Order: sequence, then C-alpha cells, then structure tokens
Amino acid sequence: MNRRGFLGDVRKYKTLLLMLAPAVLFFLLFAYVPMAGIVLAFKQFNYNGGIFGSPWNGWDNFRFFFESGNAWMVTRNTALYNIAFIIVNNALQIGAAILLFEAVGKWFRKLTQTVMFLPYFISWVVVGAIAYNLFNYDVGTLNSILTAVGLEPVDVYNTPSYWPFILVLVSAWKALGYGSVMYLAAITGIDTEMYEAAEIDGANIFQRILHITIPNLYPTVIILVLLAIGNIFRGDFGMFYNMVGNNGLLFSSTDVIDTFVFRSLTTSNEIGLSAAAGFYQSVLGFATILLANYAVRKYDKDHALF
Amino acid sequence: MQNKKTFMLLFALVLVLTTVLSACGSNKNAENNNKAGNTPSNGATEPGTTDGNAGTSEELVIKMLLVGGKPIDYDAVFGELNKKLKEKVNATVVAEFLDWADWTQKYPLKFAASEDFDIAYTANWAFYNDQALKGGFLELTDEMLSKNMPLTWESMPKVAWEQSKVNGKQYMVPNNNPEVTDKAVLIRDDLRKKYNLDPVNSPETFANYVKTVAANEKGINAYNAKAADGWKWHELDQILLEQQNEWNLVDYSMPLAYKLDDESGKVFNVYDTPEFKQLLAYYKDLADNNAWSKNVVSNKNDVWQDMKAGKTASYAHTLGTVAMNLAELRREQPGIELAIADLTPDKKKIAAISTQNGFAIHAPSKKAERALMVIDLLQNDREIHDLFMYGVAGTHFEAVGDDKFNATAGTPNYTGFSNWGANSPLNRKDASYPAEADAIAEAWQAKVYNFELETFVFNDANVKNEVANVGNVMLRYAIPLEYGLIKDIEKGQADLIKQLKAAGIDKLQQELQTQIDAILASK
Repeated sequence: MNRRGFLGDVRKYKTLLLMLAPAVLFFLLFAYVPMAGIVLAFKQFNYNGGIFGSPWNGWDNFRFFFESGNAWMVTRNTALYNIAFIIVNNALQIGAAILLFEAVGKWFRKLTQTVMFLPYFISWVVVGAIAYNLFNYDVGTLNSILTAVGLEPVDVYNTPSYWPFILVLVSAWKALGYGSVMYLAAITGIDTEMYEAAEIDGANIFQRILHITIPNLYPTVIILVLLAIGNIFRGDFGMFYNMVGNNGLLFSSTDVIDTFVFRSLTTSNEIGLSAAAGFYQSVLGFATILLANYAVRKYDKDHALF
Repeated sequence: MQNKKTFMLLFALVLVLTTVLSACGSNKNAENNNKAGNTPSNGATEPGTTDGNAGTSEELVIKMLLVGGKPIDYDAVFGELNKKLKEKVNATVVAEFLDWADWTQKYPLKFAASEDFDIAYTANWAFYNDQALKGGFLELTDEMLSKNMPLTWESMPKVAWEQSKVNGKQYMVPNNNPEVTDKAVLIRDDLRKKYNLDPVNSPETFANYVKTVAANEKGINAYNAKAADGWKWHELDQILLEQQNEWNLVDYSMPLAYKLDDESGKVFNVYDTPEFKQLLAYYKDLADNNAWSKNVVSNKNDVWQDMKAGKTASYAHTLGTVAMNLAELRREQPGIELAIADLTPDKKKIAAISTQNGFAIHAPSKKAERALMVIDLLQNDREIHDLFMYGVAGTHFEAVGDDKFNATAGTPNYTGFSNWGANSPLNRKDASYPAEADAIAEAWQAKVYNFELETFVFNDANVKNEVANVGNVMLRYAIPLEYGLIKDIEKGQADLIKQLKAAGIDKLQQELQTQIDAILASK
C-alpha cells in the first residue's frame, strides 16, 4: 500500500502536478466556477438581484421549452444529427488517415493533407454564404448547371428533406482534415515491427489494415467517440444557424435545441429561460456519457474513460 | 483500488475548491448587487450626495453607449464636442459603439454585466421597456429633470414625457422630434414608366407594378426583403395589414391588435381574421407571379444595396429611410429614377411615439446629474447639437440657414449611429431631402389619429414563456405562409392558428386584454 501518504505523493509528482495545473485551473475557472450560474435556470432574473439575488421561480423557466410541443422534435433532431455526424465523420476520418498513411510520396501526402485541412479554417458564416450561392434557386451554381444540361431546377431552400444530407455532408467536409490528423497520429504510433512481421508472413495491404491498423485504433476511436457522445445534445449552433438561418420551412428537419432556444429568446433576452434550456442539455449530456461509459466498461474495462 | 482512491481524492479536492471559489464569487457578487441596488435610490432620493449641489466643480467623464458603427471621424468630432461640453458643464463624453451587426446581443449584456457607462441610447425598438422593467435604467424624477435639464424641461411637450413612462415611471429622456413611423414603398419609377403603368398608390396598383416587372425584367427581383432576420412579419404587413385596416399591433413580437377606433380596445388575433385571409391570397398571387425570389426567406443580401445595384425593383421601409435612400441615389446615380409610393394614403395614421429614440441613464451610474446636463445640451444647445448630430461644420456638413444642411464629401465619415436620441426642433434637414417625402409626411400629419391607447405599453412579465413560443410559431409558420411558400394557404392558415393556440396565444391575449382594460378604466 501507499506509505508516503497524500503529501508524499504530491512531493514526489510535483513536476507532473505542475504540468497538470494549467489544465486544472482552466477547467476550474471556465467550467466549474461558472457552473454556479446554473441557479439562473430557476430564477426570474433582474439586474438589481443579479445572478444570486434574483427571486426564485421554480420550474417556470422550463415551461416555454416543454409546453411549446417542440422539445421532443428539437431534442430528437439534435441527437440524430450528432449521431450521424459521429458515425460519418469518424468513418471518413479513419479512412482518410489510413489512406494517407499508406500513400507513397511525401509531397502528395502533404498536399492532400493540407487540402483536406483547409475547410476546418473556414468560418461557418462563410460556409453559409457559399452554400447560399450554390443552392440559391434563381442564380445558384447548382441550378445553373442543372438548367444548362436541360434538367429541372431544384428548390433546395424550400425542401426540408434535402437538408439532413447537406448538413451531414458539409459537416464531414469541414471536419475531415482535423479529425484525420488525430487518427494519423495514432496510426503512426503503432509498432512498425508488427507490420514487418505481417509482411514476412505474406499479409497483403488489406489484411494489414484490417488486422493490424484498425484493431490498434480502437482505443483512440473509443475515446474520441465517448467525448463526442457527451455533446450529443448540443447542436453545433454556428453550423445550423449559418446554414439554415431563420428559414421556417426547414425547421422540421433542421431545428436543433440550440437554434430553437436562440430564436425563441434572442428578442426577449430572458437569461433564465436560456439557462433552463442549457441545464436541460447538460443533464441529458451527462446522463448519456455515464451510460456510454458504462457500456464501454462492460465491454472492455481498459478502454473506458473512468 | 489505489487508482480509484486517488481519483476520489482528486474529485473531492475539486469539489471543495469549486465550492470555495463559487462562494467567493457569490459574496463578491452579492456586494456588487447591493451596490447596484442601492445606487439608483441614492441618486434618486438624495441628489447632491455625488455631485449635484456641488454643481459642476469636479470634472467628469461621461460614458455613453451608442448603437451603430463607430464613425470614422469620431475623434475629430468628439474632440470638438468635448471642448464645448467642458466649457459649459465641465464634463467630457466618451462613446462606446455597438455595431449594427450584433448590437441586439451585446446591448443586454452590457447591462447584465453592469458595465461602467452612464448614458445609454434606447428606444421602443431597442429594449427600452425590457431594460426598464429589469432595472437597467435609473428612474428619473421630475425634480431631477427640471433641475438638470432646464432647456429640455422647457421645450419637451408633456405628452412626450407621458408616452415614455413605463408603469408610470420615467426612465428615458425621449427625443423631441418624432416622425410618423408608417411605412412606404420605394419603387423604380423608370420601370413603371417604361411599361406605362398607373402611379403606384394602392395595394392593387402595387401588385400590378411588381407583377409587370417580374414578368418582363429578367434578373430583377420585383420585390425584395430580408425576410428572415428575426423579424416576424412579411415586410409589407405593416402597410397592407396594419395601416390598410387601421389596426394597431400592440407589440410586433405577437400577432395581437385592436382597431384604432375601437374605444373598448378589444384585442384580436390578426391571423384569425378575414382581412388576413384576403392578404394571404394577395401575397400568394404575387409569389406565384415570381414577384419575389423563391429563396426570399434565406436572403443574405442587403436589400437597399441590391436595389442600388439594379437587382431589386421595390422594397418597404419607414418614410424617413426611403427618403434618404432616394436622395442618396439621386446624388450617386442620377440615371435611375426612384419614387416613394404610399400604398395607404387615405388611412388613419398613428402619431409617432416619443420613445422612437431616446437616452436613458444606466441604473448604477454615479454621474446621473451631470449625464442629464450633457443630454440637455446635446438635445437643445444649437452648437453642441449640430456637432453631435452632423459633425464639424464645413467638414461634415454645410449649414444652410437655421434648419437645413448640405451634405459634403465628409458627410459619410460622421454618420450611421444612433445619435437620434438627441433629435429636437433644432434638427437640420438635408437640403436635398426629397420634396415628395415632405409632401407625404405633411399629408400623414394631417391624418394623425389620436386614441386612448396610444401610450399603452405591454408588460410581458407574466407571459414570457408564451411570448417566446408565439414568436417562434410566427417565424416557423407565418413567414413561409405569407411569402407564398406553402402551396395550400387555407391549410397553412389553419395550421398557423392551431400552432398558436398550442403556444399559448389565448393566455397572451387574455393578459393583454386585462392590461388594456385596466388602462382604459383608469382614464
């Protein structure tokens, strides 16, 4: 057993602890301290009272969200979109990372990686404008091409059913470069002796990928997916808002919790109501991550987050 | 095992630290809150403790919060302005500008964070009621006003003060030059003449105009709007629904109105009226004739810029704005001929409410009295008013007599922000301001209809959930319906009404009616 005690441990690992300190401080300051603000979800906020002095109003702030009948729709949309993003993006990123790893030619590799990474730096506002110029009914690029080859123009902005595909596609396009770097790093960390041994045993490139690369990526995949699952009830506001805007026709298939809350409260600016919605998302997210982690633990203890 | 123990220990440590930290935070907050809570009453009940009776012996810097982009020549103009202000009330002003792009998000935050500023621009469209009810503004007593703002106290009509009260309390120094805020349409008169159309002066002639342009001019949107920027109405609704039927929408965040001449002030849901049904058919007809783009609700362009570029042939805005647009285009592109069209010339007009623009004092401000003195001068001192409104004479404008000015090359370097809180009878008019706009404004003034409820302001404190939900339904169901994007308008209207019921419109209507009845009973 541990004979040095807690203080002894601190002394022994002081360098490591010091290196950890900035991260701990960061989360304390920006995640744990602001958490006290959660009381706002149960308060009728006014300036004189401020965050802690305002009068309580119980569950009143939650009413707007649930009584509107939209809570289920936006929660479902948020979760489904995020599940689609997690599956599609991770699959594509792993694929891209493996291809990049196997690709020969340093120049080709660097170039491809750069091109793939580029969309990550484009702001959603710009992406929204690009999409508008692509899909615009009257003068959009897509319709210009369609009419030029004699096809009927499509009315993208008034057809909700296109949007799940468009959004998943755009999300994948934007996240591909960034995500594949992480997987590429994981692949590079795999012991090369295994590949050499496999080659000597006569494994071809597909067998090597299937039996060495992919199994070795499991831990990385599980951690990244678990972290993503924690945010499954948070829609990517920048993306949804800039791609869809306030186009009411598309809401049935594009509205996520974040855009719904923003739209409902941006004019009335009721801090309490927004806090209530945020609280709801956090509770759902917390429950999901506990559940997911529990599932992973069941399957393989070493891979669980905690 | 050991791993788990360490983890638990760390977790406990984090918890303890969090509690300690948040406790510190809350204490400090409570202190601040107390301060914030007390100061206004100090300022209100014991004027003189800060700087009041001491007069203006101590030099003060007054911070202003203005809406709009910072003008290029801010330093030059405010430098001059401060010289004058220092001379007269021993104060200088520093302005902070909240850009038009995101002021709606930043403005409330400035108050929530209790930042240090003294004067804030505010208006009925810029959070006035909201901030007043939340305690963001200092209550202004008659005594404070008459003592610190002698010029304003004298020239401001009593009714303007009355109109700007919230729950019977004064929180704003309103502007003193109200305009009628009815809307008009700006059209391309050259296109109208090209197709030999009648002058546009009614909904029918307007429909004829946009349909003709849509059918014959390729690459031009006959009508355009920035439909989905959060505004919950078709941009022609104010003209074709409200003005045309002589209704008054109580608050644009909900579809409830009363008839102007209905003395009982009975409130009804505008979406559930035959007038709205007719209007939907009118809109649908325009939409089916391609009067506006199919993607109008996703439009990301600035409509006026599109119009300048010849890509849009009509749009609706307040008379003042379309008149300025007209003057601008006459200066820059004399080749394009525009005209202002009043689609409801014979209808009753609502007198402008003084809260259209104004200045308020931030509740925690310790310099309230001096701030009021500054506002007094900004609004009513000829020299200071000119500087604040138009910039440096000779550089940013050329004075023409006492009531007009000529634009100069420097004009664009000092414009575009909300100095309108200082509007007053001293305002100068652009000498190139279109005469036809003046004519329309005069005609409107003659048709102004005064009614009991014109100063009524809805207090939504009890029905916030409903307001938020109703607003959401309007964006989601009413906007696409009005822009003709839904094929079956009858079903669309039924859906809209059904959704509004689910969102709690009945409760909202009841609350509104109760408040209106109370006001009417008290008069």
